Amino acid sequence: MLQSVLIAFWRSFTRRPLYAALNLLGLSLGVAAFVTLSLLHRFETGYDRWTPERDKIYAAAIAFNVPGVAPGARVGAMGGLLEEMKLDYPQVRGVRDWTQPAVIHRGAGVSSEQIELVDADFLTFFQVPLIAGDRGAALRDPADLVLSETMARKYFGAVDVVGRRLEISDLAGRNAYTVTAVLQDLPKNSNLRLDFMRLLTPRDIATTGGWNIWGIVTLQAYFKFDDPAEVPALEAQLPGFVDRRVGKAFGDGVTPHDIMRLSFVPLADVHLVDPKQRAAIEALRLVGWVALGLALINYVNLATARAGLRAREVAVRKALGAGAAVLRLQFLGEAGLTIALAFLIGLAMVELALPLINAAGGLSLGLDYRVDGAWVAGVFGLVLAAGLAAAVYPAFMLSAYQPAQVLASSRTPSGGRFGARLREGLITVQFAAVVAAFVLMLGFLGQIRHMQAVDFGFRRDGLYLVTATRGVGATTQQRQAFWSAVQRIPGVTGVAAGSAAPADQTMESNSTATRLDRPTRPELSPTLNWSAVGPDYFQTLGTSLVAGRLLDLAHGGDEQYVPNAGPETVTNAVISRAAVRQLGYASPQDALDKLLDFQNRKTRIVGVVEDMRFYSPTEKTPAKLYTFNGYPAYWPVGWPITLVRYSGLSEAEVRARLEAAWRQAAPDVPFEGKTALVNLDRYYKPQRDRTNLFSLGAMVGAGIGCIGLYGLAAFNASRRTREIGVRKVLGATRAQVARLLIGQFLRPVAVACLVAWPLAYWMLRRWLSQFDDPVAVGPLVFVAGAAAAIAIGLMAVGGLAWSAASAEPGRALRHD
Amino acid sequence: MIELQSVSRLYRSDEIETTALHGISLSIRRGEFVAVMGPSGCGKSTLLNILGAVDRPTSGQYLFGGVDLARRSEGVLAQHRARHLGFIFQSFNLVDDLTIAENIELGLIYRKGRSGSRRALVEAAMDRVGIAHRARHFPHQLSGGQQQRAAIARAIVGEPDLLLADEPTGNLDTENGAQVMDILRGLNATGATIVMVTHSPSHADQAGRRIDMLDGRLVASVAQAL
Repeated sequence: MLQSVLIAFWRSFTRRPLYAALNLLGLSLGVAAFVTLSLLHRFETGYDRWTPERDKIYAAAIAFNVPGVAPGARVGAMGGLLEEMKLDYPQVRGVRDWTQPAVIHRGAGVSSEQIELVDADFLTFFQVPLIAGDRGAALRDPADLVLSETMARKYFGAVDVVGRRLEISDLAGRNAYTVTAVLQDLPKNSNLRLDFMRLLTPRDIATTGGWNIWGIVTLQAYFKFDDPAEVPALEAQLPGFVDRRVGKAFGDGVTPHDIMRLSFVPLADVHLVDPKQRAAIEALRLVGWVALGLALINYVNLATARAGLRAREVAVRKALGAGAAVLRLQFLGEAGLTIALAFLIGLAMVELALPLINAAGGLSLGLDYRVDGAWVAGVFGLVLAAGLAAAVYPAFMLSAYQPAQVLASSRTPSGGRFGARLREGLITVQFAAVVAAFVLMLGFLGQIRHMQAVDFGFRRDGLYLVTATRGVGATTQQRQAFWSAVQRIPGVTGVAAGSAAPADQTMESNSTATRLDRPTRPELSPTLNWSAVGPDYFQTLGTSLVAGRLLDLAHGGDEQYVPNAGPETVTNAVISRAAVRQLGYASPQDALDKLLDFQNRKTRIVGVVEDMRFYSPTEKTPAKLYTFNGYPAYWPVGWPITLVRYSGLSEAEVRARLEAAWRQAAPDVPFEGKTALVNLDRYYKPQRDRTNLFSLGAMVGAGIGCIGLYGLAAFNASRRTREIGVRKVLGATRAQVARLLIGQFLRPVAVACLVAWPLAYWMLRRWLSQFDDPVAVGPLVFVAGAAAAIAIGLMAVGGLAWSAASAEPGRALRHD
Repeated sequence: MIELQSVSRLYRSDEIETTALHGISLSIRRGEFVAVMGPSGCGKSTLLNILGAVDRPTSGQYLFGGVDLARRSEGVLAQHRARHLGFIFQSFNLVDDLTIAENIELGLIYRKGRSGSRRALVEAAMDRVGIAHRARHFPHQLSGGQQQRAAIARAIVGEPDLLLADEPTGNLDTENGAQVMDILRGLNATGATIVMVTHSPSHADQAGRRIDMLDGRLVASVAQAL
């Protein structure tokens, strides 16, 4: 049995290489796409597997139900959340992770890093994997420092660095720390980034405002529950907890839990807590399944088409005493071997293509067979099961041939009308998938082009953002010296400072604004997103003024910093067009000179500017209120981002000049900066990457579809050789015969378009709904997608039809 | 060894009902060489298919060694073919993708409960028909006569009780036809039971008994002196 399976398998390659190659190539491509997208899915859903406690750990999350604030839970917590929870629920176990910028000093050199201020039991809570040191004792003293393997190598050139010392500046000032432990680098798919860790101290807490102000999100708080049932039980008590703890802080007559909802997000779900992200990942996995499905359809089509050619073999084997069951086993065995080989080839394709896929998709996927052996085996099991399920029909069909009939007739059986219908139906399904994929791909690309071409409300090119000016340790004198130096750089045409910059939401802050020109209940007041700006901020960005005037030093009431300000102090502000709508003014003009109660101050609107898209394309541009703080050199740490407008300089040139000016002004603080375009790209790259991946998948799918179409066309052309001969003897021209053959192949493709269009329309609309500014979907995308699929189909069958139509009729008639 | 009692076979397609065999009764003894003759469409091949258990009678009984095969399951018939029957076809019906030796081996591999070396039996069969030197070739590399000899080797490799030959010389020239007939007579002389359908009177004359068929009925059964 096994021997005859092996012989049949081997001979299919040596005797009919084209058929075998098409079959294997199609299957391998499908497997490769499936494996790659499964790898991606595993990566994206496998976050934080490095901690053995993953299934017990939950992150605190918060959602607001306030006009002007995006709904949906965000992972994060108020600084004092853990302490307040422990007061009401003493059994709760948790740790905090407060991420802070830090400057590492090495001799005269400085570099920027990120440091985690954590609780003493953080390492044991997460069971952080250590290379050196003791988890329980590593973070006892405020001078203790834990760093990662990579950081140890970077700063000490070795891993074994316990006991070595390092000087770090962060919100606690410049201090010397002693390394007490080194941790293994965490995998890339980790929400936690543990480069440096030190103890979170009461002094740190005292330096920050808002530690216990509800509604302010400062850090990450993680909770551990041994029994998953504890989580919903505690969550059910959280509204009451919020009401008790917030009290009247949100205003009289306001029920706090109506506005703010706390929840726990399983650590495993933190990465994909945004349903749009999760949907995108699941969609890509679906693409993988579709590619595998298309490949299996090919397999079924080619196998059933070829069944007629094997009918005589089946009949002979049966006449010689083979039962149907034995034959089915043989055909399934052959299918299993083919699929196993295709899996190996597919895996090789994945290995070869991974660098390309990683580059196109912005990923870092990889396969390590020592570690991933079980996973690979599992995927193989899936593919094999799907393949055998697909092979059942051809196996049954083949083994059902009646020997007497087959042996008696001189012609080979066609597999019947059902077989032909099935093949046509499957080709239709396959091409529907290809057309839908092309339509979606064109739709995605259209949206991406639209997002990058749309007016952002400011000039994106020729704008450099220097974040070093807000960094730890940058002094007033250094900032001032830098700004004066920058103004003298040839090619620089404008410099300004603001707490908000394109794609920088570090200093996001929301507050309610109440109109004073009409009575409103405070809880109905909209929330405005607030930023501080210095002189020339809007001019440097190139924002257009819609109404009124901009803020400057010349107008007395513009300055926000007023010593001894009281509730009656009035300061001027500029709002955005979206804020005009949010506050309910009839027009930008109408908003001018109106008074607001904002952050317990009276604020007069003196100007309205255009909305500026500093945000992700999936995020709504918030309604903004800008206050003027005329002396940015004195702003607190974290505020002043420097915006530099330049022209006639390359990106490298402007960076070199800015960096030189910074080194001169502040040698002890590392330079940090990038262009606005580069910074914004982080929001656009994921969409572009996913579209690239999808496009790759769609191409592979189209390739598989073409292989199937070609294989079937080749089979049909050879089956119809005699018919072609007869037609030609009767006077048909070559073109007429070619048209006949092509027409037969294109009929299912035409039906496929009708199936694919509504499906693609629905999916495209769903995908577009995530964007704040979706592109209009016109008929062109659908026509173009179908045209592309048909063109590819024509390429696959056209040449074949032509050569079949060119055969000499005499030879064609002798063909059996 | 074989008893057919009032065997009929009807074929039904969408609208037409054709009767291929009309109540045929026939018995064949072990060691006999029977030639079946008749014009095209007289039911010769249907008779052979029923004898070969690849087709079943619509009515009547088919006793093989005292066992009624007319109402047995597909699986039982498959094993019956593997154990007791050998087939030779007009168009040889060798499997294209298998070598000559592998094709001959097919005559053994579906037989249950058989063990021991198949290779020796295959080689012996090839020697008997004189194609041992072609063992590793594929069917299309052989002449028609060689292909038919290979097919005979496949039919006899399992030493079947009954050898069924459907126009075994129909696709061959005179010389190759004569060679095939020599082989069949030789097999009969060493004890094989053979039923052969043929159009050739001279080949039919070489059988021990000749049966003539017309329109699905037996019209004559004549013992012949060899």
